[in-house]
Amino acid sequence: MTTKTKAEPKSSGVTNGGARIVVDGDDEVLSPTDLSEMLAEGTKDSHDKAENCQFVKDFLRGRIKRELFKRGTAALYFVYAAMEEEIEKNEDHPHIAPIYFPAELHRREALAQDLEYFYGEDWESQISLSAGTKPYVDRIHEVGQRDPVLLVAHSYTRYMGDLSGGQILKKVAQRALKLPSTGEGLNFYQFEGIHSQKGFKQLYRSRMNELELDAETKERIVGESNRAFSFNMMVFTELEEIGKTIKEEVQDAGLGHSHAEIMEGGDINKCPYYAAKMVASGNPTYACQLAMTLLTHPPCQWALAAWVALLAGFTAWYIL
Amino acid sequence: MADMDADTAAHTEPSVEEEEPFFSNLDLLLFSLIVGLVVYWYMSRKKPEPIPEFKKLDTAAPAARETSFIEKMKKTGKNIIVFYGSQTGTGEEFANRLSKDAQRYGMKGMAADPEEYEMAELARLSQIENSLAIFCMATYGEGDPTDNAQDFYDWLQEIDDEDLSGLNYTVFALGNKTYEHYNAMGKYVDKRLEELGAKRIFDLGLGDDDGNLEEDFVSWREQFWPSVCEHFGVEASGDDSSIRQYELKEHTDLNMNKVYSGEMGRLKSFEVQKPPYDSKNPFLAPVTVNRKLNKAGDRHLMHVELDITGSKIRYDSGDHVAVFPTNDSAMVNKLGQILGVDLDVVISLNNLDEESNKKHPFPCPTTYRTALTHYLDISQPPPHQRPLRAGPGKALYHSWVQGACRNILAILEDMPSLRPPVDHLCELLPRLQARYYSIASSSKVHPDRISICAVVVEYETPTGRTNKGVATNWLKNKLVTDNGHKSTVPMFIRKSQFRLPFKTTNPVIMIGPGTGIAPFMGFIQERGWLKEQGKEVGETVLYFGCRYKNEDYIYQEELEEAEKKGVLTQLNIAFSRDQEQKVYVQHLLKNSKEHLWKLIHSDNAHIYVCGDAKNMAKDVQTALQDIAEELGGMTRTQATDYVKKLMTKGRYSQDVWT
Repeated sequence: MTTKTKAEPKSSGVTNGGARIVVDGDDEVLSPTDLSEMLAEGTKDSHDKAENCQFVKDFLRGRIKRELFKRGTAALYFVYAAMEEEIEKNEDHPHIAPIYFPAELHRREALAQDLEYFYGEDWESQISLSAGTKPYVDRIHEVGQRDPVLLVAHSYTRYMGDLSGGQILKKVAQRALKLPSTGEGLNFYQFEGIHSQKGFKQLYRSRMNELELDAETKERIVGESNRAFSFNMMVFTELEEIGKTIKEEVQDAGLGHSHAEIMEGGDINKCPYYAAKMVASGNPTYACQLAMTLLTHPPCQWALAAWVALLAGFTAWYIL
Repeated sequence: MADMDADTAAHTEPSVEEEEPFFSNLDLLLFSLIVGLVVYWYMSRKKPEPIPEFKKLDTAAPAARETSFIEKMKKTGKNIIVFYGSQTGTGEEFANRLSKDAQRYGMKGMAADPEEYEMAELARLSQIENSLAIFCMATYGEGDPTDNAQDFYDWLQEIDDEDLSGLNYTVFALGNKTYEHYNAMGKYVDKRLEELGAKRIFDLGLGDDDGNLEEDFVSWREQFWPSVCEHFGVEASGDDSSIRQYELKEHTDLNMNKVYSGEMGRLKSFEVQKPPYDSKNPFLAPVTVNRKLNKAGDRHLMHVELDITGSKIRYDSGDHVAVFPTNDSAMVNKLGQILGVDLDVVISLNNLDEESNKKHPFPCPTTYRTALTHYLDISQPPPHQRPLRAGPGKALYHSWVQGACRNILAILEDMPSLRPPVDHLCELLPRLQARYYSIASSSKVHPDRISICAVVVEYETPTGRTNKGVATNWLKNKLVTDNGHKSTVPMFIRKSQFRLPFKTTNPVIMIGPGTGIAPFMGFIQERGWLKEQGKEVGETVLYFGCRYKNEDYIYQEELEEAEKKGVLTQLNIAFSRDQEQKVYVQHLLKNSKEHLWKLIHSDNAHIYVCGDAKNMAKDVQTALQDIAEELGGMTRTQATDYVKKLMTKGRYSQDVWT
């Protein structure tokens, strides 16, 4: 039976999950000097580095604190606001027009909605451009004004990444932070204007390859893309550092959730139940950790109080 | 006991606000002191046997959360436990679905997080009659277990002398083929349990997230349950008709303004139309043209134009237009008659699971008539409601329902004993989906108009009935004016990646037989427009196919005109039945292979294929691989990779359907 419903194009058997994964030894056969090829090849190391940095790894494992996630969203907001502002300004530029897909790609609005969800209506007054994000934003404005062709690199680095891993990150964040399944707070990851992410990435590659660029410019774009990766790493590193100082806010993830959920949301050592068990079995390190971690965790104070009480009781009973 | 209460409070008290610590440190101290004294008093009262007492208390906290899944299963009468190793929640979701399934087969299941239970108990699972452990195991990163399955994994690795011979198990693995260690965790658990003597009662299922994880799971599950039943000698209870997800509420005093009359999202959105328009808020586009395209033959190919003036809707050539059809009112009335119900009763179906995001199966409150007309699919053979056991039931379903193309009306007509309550039927029928068509016009030439090219679906079923495609027949009957009213179609646009090259000088090769020509009508209009603007336009080659030149050569005038103007630089048409040997588009590709190869390999041409996915699109791809092999001097593998690469780089796009 043939009803004329359109499925997304089935490109049979092309394994794809991001340019990186497509293994291909026959580059010389089909235009290895295409920009999409050069970028995939030339940013491989940066890509691996970014993917393997602690912050990203933790994120992927669901070890993300709500406060950090909020700050990360704010950082992204500044980055995309800058990038999209520069892209808009250059939308007719011959090197930007072919990859100008505001309806499909642009994230600023989505990020603003997410920030409003996290910070409330006056979100704009609550966020600020962090030191780790500023160089990134400055650079985007700089290339937008002086060398717009390099916006291609920034656009590629962010959007193609978002389209490749975004869905996984969305699920992880949703679960770790207990965000509503209706998508609030995660609009950034939801590309409403793109039906098939795979298909769109293909279109985007074809458009990049249609840009009229000489070899030197292509190299500069690859270089700028590597720079963009470094800027992203800076943002991650800053978040990671902040993460170390805001331990007390881990509680957010733990409030009112089951044991397993806390475990999934964070470090095992931060799990009150686990720590308590360790204390009971007489592990002094855990006792310290317990005290440190839980003192500021309101529900844990119950648990802590109970355990301290119990121990006190036992001690009293034992000694007396 | 204080510790238990405290512990429970820590986990079930979501209302604790962060800004105000529940206890100040002083309170905490006092609380500790008091509880300490109480404990002291309690302990000193019962001097004898101090040690066991201590132990008892020590284990009290863990006991608050049952770590023995066997005890829990015994207490709640479960015989199936579904463990999940899950990072993103999909594994957990599958586990939940499997545990719910069990009920349909007279068994009882529970989903369980391996981290919460003492997994060494697996050795004792055989204490429960007909017991089975299912493992939904996701693989993470470099072949690692998920966090919550890490302990379980460690345990499996360590226990060499454990005897799990009484354990029945099966594993469904979740992973992604693009990663090197595809489903490593699932495979490991499957193999390891066998090594330890456990009995695999059904083969390992492999789910691939790069393909379609859901489909992999569903088809595994369909095979799995029957063999479980067989293994335990259980008859599927069959009667799952009593299991309802939604509860019926009839409204008697509701203002009709509050009742949905076919809207997808906002009430009254059809009366007061507000952009932006999307799937929840479709635009009612007037039909301005509706004509038959073919000159003869028993089919009806049609060209429909929708007016989007004033809607602020923008589209590009190659995008899809989605339309929301409605069911044939005669069919709806007949259903009401057969079931003996007043279709105009206003009802709501409310989800019994209050946690669920999906409060209703379709917009409620509404009438049965609206639900059966706008929201539910009544013309396709209804899907089976649960995984069917292999055997007479399944065979019968396939032959009697699917094979005979019986839709719900035909089923009710042919089975007079079957008279389900209408509200239950409304719960079970699938939603009527929007239909997508490739837009057959260019927004550059027609910014306020969207063209659709489609063939009306109509076929005779084995029971002698005529089944009609919902959307195409509904479209066919959308006359330009109906009783002096303009006919309208609820529609919205779905962006696609099927786009013309940005550089107008790049050649395009379009392959689209039958109604697959639709997007190319838009492309041709656009290339013509570009030419008129004085732009230099590259070669524009079309491969079209139909049955007979004199019957279904659709858009003949437009195409020949475009050729004459030089917009179409090549018009290749395969009239498949005009000669003895059937000729299709893929044959024509071979005929002009040298030129094609030059366009593709040297001139950066973009290839576009639209139409039937099963045969045509496949054959076209093979033909192009053949050409690459022959003229590019490649091996078969190289040629295959070459074509794949064209796809990856967006120079070979397909818009195909089955």
